[in-house]
Amino acid sequence: MTLFAALASVVFGAMAKDTNQERLLYGLKVFAEFMVIGLVLGWILYFIP
Amino acid sequence: MEAEEAEPAPGFAWLIGAVAWFIPGVGHLLQQKWWRAALMGGAVWICFFVGLGMGGHLFDLWYEGSLSLLRVPPMIADIGTGAPYFVAWLLDYNFKEDPVQAARTTYEYGTAFLWIAGLLNYLTMLDAFDIAAGRKP
Repeated sequence: MTLFAALASVVFGAMAKDTNQERLLYGLKVFAEFMVIGLVLGWILYFIP
Repeated sequence: MEAEEAEPAPGFAWLIGAVAWFIPGVGHLLQQKWWRAALMGGAVWICFFVGLGMGGHLFDLWYEGSLSLLRVPPMIADIGTGAPYFVAWLLDYNFKEDPVQAARTTYEYGTAFLWIAGLLNYLTMLDAFDIAAGRKP
């Protein structure tokens, strides 16, 4: 999941925004979102039989 | 208010788009966007080889000798990687319905990685096309 989040956020970050700083911040934000949502969904599914 | 009309893309941009799809990263390389080529193309190649290494399954249209429309969506995702997909198809690598391969714990992850590689390459292709068409710096 971490590898997927890293690779996808690299592509999303490189595509978006205008400046390199904005791209870096956007990539980090997307990476954090993938990780947090993945972990939250993982825990929710853990409790569902 | 009238909608702004987009200028038609030049033929060069379509050629760059096709090359960018066929060989991930090359569309940016041809336009001397070295960092974008390394990051975006690299991500696609890593994703593809990680997927293959995990034993993921590549999809074509045929299942047990007959056409299967349910295989169209995953095939569209897989085919996004361009040449690597066709090389694997020619070598019949990871296309077989193999229960031993499917029993691997990483099989589903690998299949998802192969889909993601193709889908990311579609985004990479569009980015290269936009740059060639002058819509992006």
